[in-house]
Amino acid sequence: MKLEMRQKLAREPFEEKIRKVGQLIRLTKAFPRRASWLATAKKPIATGMGKKL
Amino acid sequence: MPIQPFSNIPLAEILRESNALVSAGLIEEWSLGGALAAIYYVEPFATYDADIFFIPSDKGLTAGLPAIYVHLQSQGWQVERENLLCHGFPVQFLAASGLTEEAVREAEDIEFEGEPAKVFRAEHIVAIAASVGRQKDRARIEQFLQQADLDKTKLEEILQRYKVKLPIL
Repeated sequence: MKLEMRQKLAREPFEEKIRKVGQLIRLTKAFPRRASWLATAKKPIATGMGKKL
Repeated sequence: MPIQPFSNIPLAEILRESNALVSAGLIEEWSLGGALAAIYYVEPFATYDADIFFIPSDKGLTAGLPAIYVHLQSQGWQVERENLLCHGFPVQFLAASGLTEEAVREAEDIEFEGEPAKVFRAEHIVAIAASVGRQKDRARIEQFLQQADLDKTKLEEILQRYKVKLPIL
């Protein structure tokens, strides 16, 4: 994802970002194989899926 | 009773109960730290627990943690191994000292769903990440440099005072 998009996400209200974190966690549980692949990425993925920081 | 998986992060309840710990005299002050504090400043990413840093009222070796556990269990929280669970979501209560104690004392006041709370300032989050220095901490620093409005002067002052250097990214 482009840096501008990530910066836009960063400026969203905290409540909205926490709701998205909940969605990401549900996704990583629903698709653990994909999450496992994402967790091996060297840098944080734009969505952060599977990577605990 | 089986532990139910959470459907949404119960952050408002976590913050409310942290405030209740202050009212009960079990802790002096607290602040949200860790990944959820980072998400206050940068894009959302998956994390699997909440870190609450606190300044203990009890200055003994246990930092009053047994009483904190008893209090939270009386509010329906569960304990699984060393983890406290709020509606199935793990919460860690960490006694603050040194840099993290300063981060708690200087934390930013916020409101989350109407609940007053405190969150570590961005400069303290970066300094703490630099002091820990794992790969994920380096990634967090890079994220903050790209996405957060950092007060570079304040950050440099904290880094110098705690003799911490930013990693070369």
